Amino acid sequence: MQVNFEQLLEKNKHKIFRICRIYAGSPMEPQDLFQEVVFQIWKSLESYAGKSSIDTWVYKITINVCLQSKLNLDRSNDKTDRFESIHFTPIENEIDESEEEKFRLLKECITTLSETSVSLIVLYLDALSNKEIAVVTGLSENHIAVKMKRIRKKLFECITPKIS
Amino acid sequence: MLEPELKDIWNNSSRTSQITFETNQLIDELNAKVSDIQKKIRNRDLREISASLFGILIFGYMLYEIPFPITKLACGFSIMWFVFVIFKFKQSKQQNMPAKFSLSLIEQFEYQEATMQYQANLLESAAYWYSAPAFVTNLIFIVGLGNPVDYSWSNSIAESFLPLTINLKIMTIIALALFYSFTIWVNKRAVIKGIEPLLNSIKSMGQQLKKE
Repeated sequence: MQVNFEQLLEKNKHKIFRICRIYAGSPMEPQDLFQEVVFQIWKSLESYAGKSSIDTWVYKITINVCLQSKLNLDRSNDKTDRFESIHFTPIENEIDESEEEKFRLLKECITTLSETSVSLIVLYLDALSNKEIAVVTGLSENHIAVKMKRIRKKLFECITPKIS
Repeated sequence: MLEPELKDIWNNSSRTSQITFETNQLIDELNAKVSDIQKKIRNRDLREISASLFGILIFGYMLYEIPFPITKLACGFSIMWFVFVIFKFKQSKQQNMPAKFSLSLIEQFEYQEATMQYQANLLESAAYWYSAPAFVTNLIFIVGLGNPVDYSWSNSIAESFLPLTINLKIMTIIALALFYSFTIWVNKRAVIKGIEPLLNSIKSMGQQLKKE
């Protein structure tokens, strides 16, 4: 199936980066994780068969790469060796300090969840439907609905007092 | 706090950086990285196989050169063992395919669990398929070494490194026993320290995900 790699990256770069910011941790910076996701998308693109939407497929790769980096399974591949063709330019005048602080608190709450709950919550925050989350995880929609209710409750209990 | 507010925080979190690509250069870098990884894998395979090929050559030469029948038999067994080791490495490569990132999370956990379990079994059973057969063939080889004069055989190079006296034979057997015990210990340690913690993490993550 023919997919335009450039368009795919342009369309999905922000959502990939958001997820990478949650999973990143020493020594992996969000930029390193982002680059690894781009690399794995490039490597796996040939095998994309169109069974699910390309966006859902990108989520699968992103979540799998991020979880794998947590487990440190693939030691043969140096992920901190940066590509020169990907540029991250801080948008200093647009960075709202209070938004950054809110995000820091959100990340703090998300990281109190279990690893797999983190995967589900980032998909939920990215506005994926239960059906799409089911495709990414391999669970049933009902199962997702039950789990999401509990995880969301936990997240809101943590974040609400912090932000308000 | 309301859901839309939370989603706003989330969506704004990627607006701290402008992400740009130089597509042609990126594709070159991606291709270079793929080639680099393939090269590393090829070199590693070559290193593993070349050790066994070297062993086949050495024991092949000794099979041809040495006159002692029991030692000749041991050379034959050693060659068969080296061939088996090459086969075992190739088989393990086929089982140890890299992670498939386009699988669903559940499938990915199952796949990684199966791969890690295979690696653990391979290392744990190394005593039976690697150390023990090698030690037994080495033992037969050493025990079979006789007196070169009885066979009117003379080869200064072979004679200089073969343990032909009883004392040298005993010392060599002890050294080999220690060496193979060490390899068994190293493999078991790799399973306990390296693979089992990972396997447990993968299993627990898979169970966490499946649990309602």
